[in-house]
Amino acid sequence: MDTWKAFEANELTHSAAHHLVAIYDVGQDYGGWARVSDIARQLNITRGSVSINLRALKRRALVQTDDHRLVKLTDEGLRAARAVMAKRVLVVTFLSEVLGVPADQAEIDSCKIEHLVSDETGHRLAQFLRFVSSDGEAAELLGRFQRFRCRCPKSADCGLCKGRCLVDELKRAI
Amino acid sequence: MIAAHIRTAAPVTASLDDLIDDLNSLMAEEAEASLRYFQMRFRVRGRGRQEAEHFFEEALKETLDHANEVAAQIKALGRIPKLRVQLALEGSPIQAADALAEALDVEQQALTAYEDFLPRTAGHPELEAFIARQVATETEHVRELRRLLDATSNLTLLKRASSEGA
Repeated sequence: MDTWKAFEANELTHSAAHHLVAIYDVGQDYGGWARVSDIARQLNITRGSVSINLRALKRRALVQTDDHRLVKLTDEGLRAARAVMAKRVLVVTFLSEVLGVPADQAEIDSCKIEHLVSDETGHRLAQFLRFVSSDGEAAELLGRFQRFRCRCPKSADCGLCKGRCLVDELKRAI
Repeated sequence: MIAAHIRTAAPVTASLDDLIDDLNSLMAEEAEASLRYFQMRFRVRGRGRQEAEHFFEEALKETLDHANEVAAQIKALGRIPKLRVQLALEGSPIQAADALAEALDVEQQALTAYEDFLPRTAGHPELEAFIARQVATETEHVRELRRLLDATSNLTLLKRASSEGA
């Protein structure tokens, strides 16, 4: 399956997602309008870079500009920004509250993947989080997982690793 | 609401640290533009390519000179310039008119950055004079670039019209 090709053709790049969210954040107090200089400050990049990146977003009708060169999300841009922000919260919550990843690491990892998670996966993730927080047995299972400390069997006998120890490979990668 | 975004030209007393931060940002704008123009020369295609290549050839030197001059201002204020540039430039071909339009965006942002900074230089006459000169220079650049872009776009339109008429 050519998943990597789909990954490269992803409709929203990491940079685009960050620009949309920055425009949303900066524009909140100004009726949605944001200055390029404030977007640049928010993203810690130059105004020149922002203006070049905005050209691509404008071509895709995700942002609009006015005569003062202020920038605003279009309805489609707003939808995309909100979807990215929602997925960020879902992924952070999943990583920190379900997997027990430290909060700052959960933020970093979420930032890397928030724009790549499909709407469908985001939806299922939301359902899963609702499930573990509302169902008593699920919450108990989650508690058991969080207390669980991995004691690996021989990798040949392991239902997860099937002959090659994934935990060892992760340790070697660090 | 929108008007609140537009910074007034009233002088603002800025701390030295703030001035240096702003100067480092201006230097980054110039240095980054220089790198963009350096690479853009090799991407340009289509009508007006030669003129655009010539523009980028000159612009890359000029923006680097500007970065150098901003760095000299930082040094004159007793600090060492800090340069932070994050850039990954694609190698895809680009039509001359599109390349010049991108450059116009970059130059326009540089001009606005100098204009925004000018009121904050109050109390530093040499710096103020330098930034005022930069505003004048960048204003002229934007004007020239607009003329070049218009000429290139007209060439492209003429080409399209003649090929449609054929």
